[in-house]
Parts: sequence; C-alpha cells; structure tokens
Amino acid sequence: MDTIGHGITEAIKLIFTADKEIFQIVGLSLYISFSSVVISSVIGIPAGILIGTYDFKGKGIIVRLIYTFMSLPPVIAGLTVFLIFMRRGPLGSLQLNYTVPAMVIAQVCLVTPIIIGLTYNIVKEKARAVNALGITLGAGRIRRGRLLIYEMRVGVTTAVVTGFGRAVSEVGAVMIVGGNIKGKTRVMTTYISELKGMGNYDRAIAVGIILLLISFMVNAVLYHFQERESR
Amino acid sequence: MHILLRLLKKSFGERSVLDIDSGEIKHGSRTAVIGPNGAGKSTLLNIMAGILKPTCGNIYYDGSKEFPGTNISLVFQEPYLISSTVEKNIAYPLKIRGFSKEDILTRTNLLMEELNLHKIKKQRPWNLSGGEKQKVALARALSFKPGLLLLDEPTANIDPHTTAEIEKMLIEIGEKEDITVVTVTHNLAQARRMCDQVIMMHAGKIIETGDCENILKKPCNEITRKFIEGELLI
Repeated sequence: MDTIGHGITEAIKLIFTADKEIFQIVGLSLYISFSSVVISSVIGIPAGILIGTYDFKGKGIIVRLIYTFMSLPPVIAGLTVFLIFMRRGPLGSLQLNYTVPAMVIAQVCLVTPIIIGLTYNIVKEKARAVNALGITLGAGRIRRGRLLIYEMRVGVTTAVVTGFGRAVSEVGAVMIVGGNIKGKTRVMTTYISELKGMGNYDRAIAVGIILLLISFMVNAVLYHFQERESR
Repeated sequence: MHILLRLLKKSFGERSVLDIDSGEIKHGSRTAVIGPNGAGKSTLLNIMAGILKPTCGNIYYDGSKEFPGTNISLVFQEPYLISSTVEKNIAYPLKIRGFSKEDILTRTNLLMEELNLHKIKKQRPWNLSGGEKQKVALARALSFKPGLLLLDEPTANIDPHTTAEIEKMLIEIGEKEDITVVTVTHNLAQARRMCDQVIMMHAGKIIETGDCENILKKPCNEITRKFIEGELLI
C-alpha cells in the first residue's frame, strides 16, 4: 500500500513540477500513437467501407484475416517489422530499426486491422438500409457514400478511439523495434517496463497514472461525442 | 407518372419471385397492390424504386425506359431515418436537389403542419414512436413532390388513429400534387379507403387488376375471391 501511495504522490509531483524527461516521454508516446492512428484511419476507414459495401470473391477470407489480425500479438508485429528493417532484411537499407518511424509502422500494423474490422461491422449493419434510402430519395452514388459516412460517424469515431487505445497502451512491438532508447525511442509503456525492472516502483506507478489519465481524457471526449449524438 | 410493366421477371438464384407479362399503373391513380405473402408485391415495389434490378423485362416510366431516380420515392414498413432531427430528415431530399434555404423551410414547415410533426421537429429518430417515424418518412418522401410514391405496408404497425391521419394526408396531398401512389397492403379495408385501383398478385404474377371497388366486391379470379374472403390459398 505504501508503494502505491508513494507512486500517486510521485505522479502528482511529476505532473506539477513539469519533469522534463516525463514530458518528453509523454510527448513522444502521444506523437507515435496519434501518427499511427491517423495513418491507420486513412487506410482502415475506406477499406472497411469498401469491404462492408461490396460483395466480391474472396471477401470471406479477407474478413477472417482481418478478424485474426485484430488480435495480432504485438510482439509478432514488432518482430515482423524488426526483421523487415534489420540490416540484412528486405528493407534494411532504410535503417529504420530503433527509430520513431519504425515504431509508428509497427503500431500501424496493429491498429489498422482494428479500424478496418470495426468499420466493416458498422458498414455491414447500415450499408444496405442507407443505400436503399439514398436510392429512394434520389441521392447519387457520391451522396449515398457521404450519407453512409455521416450515419456511421459515432461508430467510426469509436473504432478510431479503440485503435488509439491499442496504440497508446502497446508495449511489445515498440520495445522490439524502438529499443527503449532514452531521449530517442522511449515511450511511456516501455519506460514503465524498465522502471519496474529497476525496482523504481514509485516512478513506474506515476507514469502509469499519467498513461491512464491520457486514456481517460480521450475516452471522455468520445463519451461526450456519443452522448451529444444520441440526444 | 404513368407506369407500364412489360415481361418483368426477377429471380434469386433458381427461385423465380416475379413473373409479370404486363401491367399498368395509371397517372395520378392510387393503386393498392394486394396478395398473400410471397406473391412478389415488395419485390415489384423495390424494382420500381430502382433498389432491385429485374432479371429481365422493362418498366416504362411515362413511356421511357430510363429510370427517373430523382422523381420516385419509396417508404418502407419500417423506415430508416437519418440520425438527425425530424426537420433535417424531411429537408434532406430537398437539400440534395439544391433547393434554396427558404424553399426548404417553407416545404418542411408545410409538411410538418400537415402531419402534425411540429412539436417533435427537433427530436431524433430514437426518441420517436413507430407512428411518428412513419409520418416523418412519409413527409420526407413527399418533400420533393415525387411523380411516383411507393409505399410498402406503410401503416402495418401503426395505431388506427395515426393510420387514419396518414391515409387522409396521402389522399389529400396525392390529389393536390398529382402524385401517383402505389401501396402494398394486406389491409383490404385500407385499400378500399385509400385506393381507386387494385393489382392482385399471386405467385409472382398479376392475376387481376382494375377498379378497386369492383374487384374487392366482385372479383373475377377465383384466387382473388378466396384471398378477399380469407380462405386458404392452396
């Protein structure tokens, strides 16, 4: 109990004393998570809409693969990206391992299937009804697409926030491809892992609380949006 | 809008659900499409609305094979409302047709007045009753004054008071704005109250068609007679 109490006190201290190292780590965590979620959304939302709207050969297999990749173990994603970018790997010449772009790529691999899968499920539910409505009201193809996106806005936002949750809380992949290098690739989750290894529980709890606060704030914004839209 | 159906067929895989040699819906008429479940009534309506494509055959809208998408409206038994307010739902078809803000406001206000929707104009679909949803869907379908209004059992799950309100409004607006109305219904009393023409369908075919009062009183076809009298159709 003492350790936890100290951790909470330490967290408050770290936040209010503007600890430079912590701020840098939190900033990098948010940068990597937001970047990967933006890239994943740009790929995942249109892909989810296309797969949910159109019937084509092999759709069943693609959907099963997406569902499988939604629960892709982060260490496998990390290892794959690491092997691709290692010196003797197919893209080794890019020398991306232990850099921020490699961490973003690893997180994109984890987040994109989640956004595709959740978007696909929303589209599958609504596409037929919205499309029929659009046709019966005289809306053209583009208008119908816009109407579908409008109708899915809450669901898609939830998908994006879920993806962000996965990205910000992820440790295995970023540890493998980033290496937890101080001042360069250290993020909150890898820092917590290292602090725990060093027995520095106070600081580990403090960083954990900051991570939880960030998650809480993102979800609070989502909740506010959902509430506003369902009133 | 005048409608002609010619050699219209629809199959889902091996199963034929529609097989109409010919049919006609007169301009400005209110036609009830009646028949037992699985007769092909809703399939016909969906093809006329452009949601389904026929396997073969043609529909002529005012003599043209071209589908007049922006001049047709369809209201389902369980309508889908856009997740926005009642007034924005009604305004949507006008907005996509590029009507001015004043015209949109005038038209939506008129329809909300006719259907007694003013009090709920800021409500969203999930706060509405089944009857209110159906009235909003009807107001939205009528907003752009379509030439052809298709209704798929529009009052199936609605109380008698709201049903009477909807029927009255459909007759009045239909006549005033010269809209051809086609209603799929199982309610023969409603067909009698609302419609002047009847199309009787059975097993994907039109088996009898003509004046509503005559057919419902003295059907020529044996299947129509059995259907009207509530006998089993085997």
